[in-house]
Amino acid sequence: MNDNRLSRSSVPGFATIQRNIEKKFLLPTYLLVSFFLLILDSTDFKAIKVVKGLTNDLVTYSVWILKTPIKYPINVIISSVKNINFNAKTIDEQLNDDISKLTSENNQLIFYKNENENLKRILNIRNKEDYSFVYTKIIHENTNEFNKNFTINVGSNEGLQINQAVVRNNVYLGKISELNLYSSKVMVVTDVNSRIPVTIPSRGANAILKGNGMGGADLLFYPLNIKLEDGDQIYTSGTDGSIKEGLYVGKVMGDKDRRFFKNYKIQLGFSDHLLNYVSVLKSKR
Amino acid sequence: MYSIIEKIKYYFPHIIIILITLNDSLFVNSWIAPGPIVNLKYIIIFYFSFFDKERFSITFLFILGLLFDSMYAMPLGSSSICFICLNKIAIFLHKKRTRINYQNEFTSFIISLFVTQIIALFVLHEFGKAPLEYSLLFINLIFTTICYPLARYFFQYLFRLN
Repeated sequence: MNDNRLSRSSVPGFATIQRNIEKKFLLPTYLLVSFFLLILDSTDFKAIKVVKGLTNDLVTYSVWILKTPIKYPINVIISSVKNINFNAKTIDEQLNDDISKLTSENNQLIFYKNENENLKRILNIRNKEDYSFVYTKIIHENTNEFNKNFTINVGSNEGLQINQAVVRNNVYLGKISELNLYSSKVMVVTDVNSRIPVTIPSRGANAILKGNGMGGADLLFYPLNIKLEDGDQIYTSGTDGSIKEGLYVGKVMGDKDRRFFKNYKIQLGFSDHLLNYVSVLKSKR
Repeated sequence: MYSIIEKIKYYFPHIIIILITLNDSLFVNSWIAPGPIVNLKYIIIFYFSFFDKERFSITFLFILGLLFDSMYAMPLGSSSICFICLNKIAIFLHKKRTRINYQNEFTSFIISLFVTQIIALFVLHEFGKAPLEYSLLFINLIFTTICYPLARYFFQYLFRLN
């Protein structure tokens, strides 16, 4: 009888009370913790930065380990599909032509380089800062509505610093935006927050290249009296002091007068979605 | 007693949202091609919070937000706030509606998304170090709204949560 009464009782059990308490207190607790983390994140305490860096490393490498079994077969399939070729002979002939053309151009470049160095010696002009390459592997690619970045597997342990340029075959890809101990985040040139000083040598003009967040970049602050033309090449100017000058960024495509937004279309120097390895340009100083 | 298939079906949204959070490029292999301008995370959180309030726990959303912030170099805690707020707004709007039809649901989605984006804007403006691109946020809002019916149709087909 007593058992029956107990089972019908409207008094909540321990589990229900616990669930109610959790429901009432979890929401404010998590919101408070989130705001606390936000405030801590915006401060410049070194200890907090170290803890954040270590947490980021932990998350990044855990995700990389988890992701590898999924990503590896996908990459193998994509690359094998890419490599299937029925016109191997024609392509081989084309490549041979390209090699001979590039070899002659390279010889010419060596000649110009020597000439340039001789002239610099005569005019007593010192060489600008030397840079060394740090080869790294991309372990994660991230895209969301705010950022476009990727993560590389070296950090402050290799002496990297924020804002150092990341390149692939001397083509500018982006710069280091966040530094952890064993990994770093690289802000790609197409990120909305990316702004780099560039120069257009064929027109003698300087400008700022700003990522548009939609897979491209726009030129800002270029001299209005200069009209750029199709194929004008864009290089980093190095005026910000952190990015090496003379890195190829891309070229101007089409006339801006023909475009709806009255802005030059820029074709960036890199187009491969499946990049695996990149290098960071580290100042030797 | 739930079968394994039912369990997988129950945790399917969790798996999808974790995959999206950890690696957007699994679905859209691009950091140079136009990025995911549709905020699939918000669509999933809203849909399952609206129709099944017990599906995503606050703890899950909190941890998911922290993971997302860590992966995407966002201010730590910002996404947690957004995810939890979206979840709570969706539950609140579901409670307020006496009759649930498609029109009500879509209106609720627009309201939730708008409020969440305002919260995101405020948090990133106050605590973020990088400047905000408002036009991109607006494009994201529009495309997410447009894509909601499609995603909803897919989820309705799979889960039938009415």
